[in-house]
Amino acid sequence: MNQLVRHESFLVPAALVLRQRVIQAVAVALFVSAACFAIVQSLPGDIAFRIAAGRYGYDQVTAASAEAVRADLGLDRPAWLQLLDWLASLARFDLGTSLVTGGNVAGELALHLSGSLQLAAAALVLAFLAGTAAGTLAAFRPGGTLDRALTFWVSAARALPPFLLGLVLILVFSVHLGVLPATGHGESTNIVLPALTLATGLSGLFARVSRDAVIRIRQSDYVRFAATKGLGGRLIFIRHVLRNTGVTLVPYIGVQAIILIEGVVVIESLFAWPGLGHALVHAIFWRDVPMIQATALALALLVVLLNTATDLAVLAIDPRPRTSQAAS
Amino acid sequence: MSMHLQHLIVSHSGQTLVNVSELQLEPGRPLTIVGESGSGKSLLAHAIMGTLPGSLTARGSLTADGTTYDLADPSNRRRLWGRVMSLLPQEPMLALDPTMRAQEQVAEGAATFGTDPGSARGRARGMLAALGLGGAARSFPHTLSGGMAQRVAFAAATIADAPMLIADEPSKGLDEAARADLAELLKRHLHGGGILLTITHDLDLARELGGDVLVMKEAEIIEQGPARRVLETPAHPYTRRLIAAEPAHWAHSWMRRPAGDETKPALITAEGLTKAFDGKTLFADLSLTVRAGERVAISGPSGCGKTTLGNVLLRLARPGSGQVHHAETLGGGRLQKLYQDPALSFPASVPLRDSFGDVIRRHQVPPSRLDELMDALRLAPALLTRQPGQVSGGELQRLAIIRTMLLEPALVFADEPTSRLDLITQEETIRCLMDQVGRQDCALLLVTHDKTLAGAVADRQLALTPEEAPRGTVTPREAVTAIA
Repeated sequence: MNQLVRHESFLVPAALVLRQRVIQAVAVALFVSAACFAIVQSLPGDIAFRIAAGRYGYDQVTAASAEAVRADLGLDRPAWLQLLDWLASLARFDLGTSLVTGGNVAGELALHLSGSLQLAAAALVLAFLAGTAAGTLAAFRPGGTLDRALTFWVSAARALPPFLLGLVLILVFSVHLGVLPATGHGESTNIVLPALTLATGLSGLFARVSRDAVIRIRQSDYVRFAATKGLGGRLIFIRHVLRNTGVTLVPYIGVQAIILIEGVVVIESLFAWPGLGHALVHAIFWRDVPMIQATALALALLVVLLNTATDLAVLAIDPRPRTSQAAS
Repeated sequence: MSMHLQHLIVSHSGQTLVNVSELQLEPGRPLTIVGESGSGKSLLAHAIMGTLPGSLTARGSLTADGTTYDLADPSNRRRLWGRVMSLLPQEPMLALDPTMRAQEQVAEGAATFGTDPGSARGRARGMLAALGLGGAARSFPHTLSGGMAQRVAFAAATIADAPMLIADEPSKGLDEAARADLAELLKRHLHGGGILLTITHDLDLARELGGDVLVMKEAEIIEQGPARRVLETPAHPYTRRLIAAEPAHWAHSWMRRPAGDETKPALITAEGLTKAFDGKTLFADLSLTVRAGERVAISGPSGCGKTTLGNVLLRLARPGSGQVHHAETLGGGRLQKLYQDPALSFPASVPLRDSFGDVIRRHQVPPSRLDELMDALRLAPALLTRQPGQVSGGELQRLAIIRTMLLEPALVFADEPTSRLDLITQEETIRCLMDQVGRQDCALLLVTHDKTLAGAVADRQLALTPEEAPRGTVTPREAVTAIA
C-alpha cells in the first residue's frame, strides 16, 4: 500500500515533467531552426560563393561555379520555401546532407555529439568532485584558512574567461612544461587540458554552493537532533549532511551543465576538439546551412534534455512536493 | 538511577542567564520548569545536555549514575546522548530530516544500528506501531501532522533507552488534542522508570504531567514544589501573575461584550462556502457575515481548515464553491492580516524603520502615527533601528500589530497571532491588539486553536471540527455560538 502510494507520488509528477518538456523540445526545435535560418540568410556575402569556396577551394571559385552550387542546392528558391523544406525533412528526422562535404549530417552530428559529451562529462565530473570536496572541507571551519582560500578561488575562477584560462594552460603545460598536448584527439591525454579549462570555471560555483549548503545543514535542527539521538559525527555526516547537500546540489549540476554547453563552443575551437561547438563554428564559416541548423538544434535540445534530467533527479531524491498548499 | 545538578551558572559575557544551586531528578517523578521566554529555563536544559550555543559558558556539576560531570566541558556528556540522556526537540517538524523516512530516523538512534541495522529497523517499526504510527513508518516528515511528527521524534529520542528525557517546549504550536497525546507519551516514559525534565510555558501541560513544578524568572528559581500546590495556591507574586496570564483567568475591560449589533453594516458576507483539500472536506455550505466592529473567532484543532477559511473570507484563497462579498469600505488597504510568525512577515535583513517607511509612503500615512502607536504599545523607538532578528518574538508581533493598525483598518484578520508566544507575552500582545481594535472600532477575525483564547476575545465563535465522516458526505459546520 505504502509502496504504491510512493510510486504514484513519483510517477505522476514525473509524467507531468516529461509531457511539459516534450512540448518544450518541439517548440525549441521550431524556434531554433527558424532563428538559425534567418540569421544565416542575413549574413553578409553570397552564400553560394562561400559554399563553392568550401567545396572546391578559394582558387576555383568563379561566378560559374557559384551558379552551379546555387542551382544544385536550390539556393535561388524563396527563403521561406527553403525553410519549409528543412522543417519537412526534420519532421521525417532527416537532417539532410552537408553542403560542403556532401556527407550525411546525421552521421557527422553523432560523431561531434559524442565528442562534446565526452568533454562535458569529464569537465563536469572533475569540477563536481574538486568543487564539492573543497566546499565541504571549508564548511567545517567557516572563516578558516581553507575557507578564505576558497573564496579567492571562487572569484578568480569566475572572473577568468575560459579562452584566456585555456591559453594560459596551453602555455604552461604544453609549451613550457611540454607534459600535455595542446590540441588533437585520439589519445587519452588530449582531453586533459580542455576538460581542466572548463572544470576550473565550474568548480568555483560547486565549491561555493556546497560550502553554504553544508554550513546551513550542519546548523539545522535535524542534524542537532541526530547528535542528541546519539549518532556519531561520521554517521551524521553520511546520513544527514551529505543527503541534504545533494538535494541542494543536484539542481546546480543542471545549471552548470548548461553553462558548460555554452563554454564548449569556445573551448572546442581553442583546443581543436572535434565536438558540436567546433562543428558549429566551422559550419558557420563555410555557410553550411544544414550543418548549422543541425548543430544548433542539437545544442538546444541538449539543454532541454539536461533540464529534464535535473527535474527528474530532484523529483526522485527530494520527496517534498514542489508546491506546498497546507490545509491549515 | 537519579540525577543531581549542583551550582549551575550559565553566563554570557559577564551576564548571568541561569543561576540554579541545586536540582534533584528522580525516576518516575516528573519535573517541569515553567516561566516566560528569556527566563533561562531552556538554557538550563541545554546546560545539562551539553548543547549550549558556543558563546555561552556554563559552570557547575552533574552527577548521574555515580559519575560526576563538569558542566563547563560540554563534550564530556556527548557519549551519554541517546544512551543515558536524550532531548525531545522543540519543533519536531524541523528536527526530522525532510529527506528520510520516519522509520529510518527512529532506527538510526538505536544502539545496535551500527552492528545490526536490520534489528534496529525492526525495533523502530515496533515502536512506531505502538505509538499508533504503524502506517506512517515509511512516510516522509512532510506528510505527517504536528502531533505525528512529535510521536516520531519521541520514538527516535527514546529508542536507545536513555533513562533521562529532557523535553524542551514540546507543546509549542500543538492544539489541545495533540498536547494531551504528548502528555501521555511523556507519562509513558515515566512509567517505564524514566527521569523526565520538561521545559514549557504551557501551564496546562505542567498540570497534566503533575510531579514537581519549578518557576523560573530572570535566571533564578523563584518557587518550587508539587505541581498542584504551585499552580493552585502559588506563593510568589510572579507565579500568580503567570497563572493570571492564562486566557481562562483574564479580566479585561474589552472582554465579554454583548453579542454583535445586527444593524451595523456587513463587511464580509460569505454564502455557501465549500472547500476540500486532498479529498478531505474542510467545510461545506458555510455561511458567515462579519459586521463592522464585530469580533469573530474561528477555532478548531490543527489541520481543520481554520486558516484556509480565513484566507477564503479575505479572498486570498478561492473557495471550492460559494461566494464571498466584501463591502467597499474594505478597499485601499483597510483589510489587514496579522500573521502567526512575525519573523516571517518582516523582511529579515531590512531595518524595521525601512519596512515601516514603505507602508507609510505607500499609503500616505502621517509619520507621526507610527510614533503614537509605538508609544501606545510601549515599544522604544530605538527598536526601529534594528533588524527583525534582533528584537524578541513578542516585540516583533507588537510591531506587526502597529503595521496593520497604521492603515486604520476596518477589519483585521489575526491568524494564530500568539500561538508561539509565552503566556505573559501572549496576554500583553492580545491586550495591545484589543486596545487598538477597540480604539479604532475595527472588526476582528481571529483564528486560533486555543478555545479559551477565542472565548476571551470574541463576541462570536465559529468552531470548525475536523471531518471524520467518509468522503462525499457533506456536513455543514456552523456551530456558531454567541457568547453573552
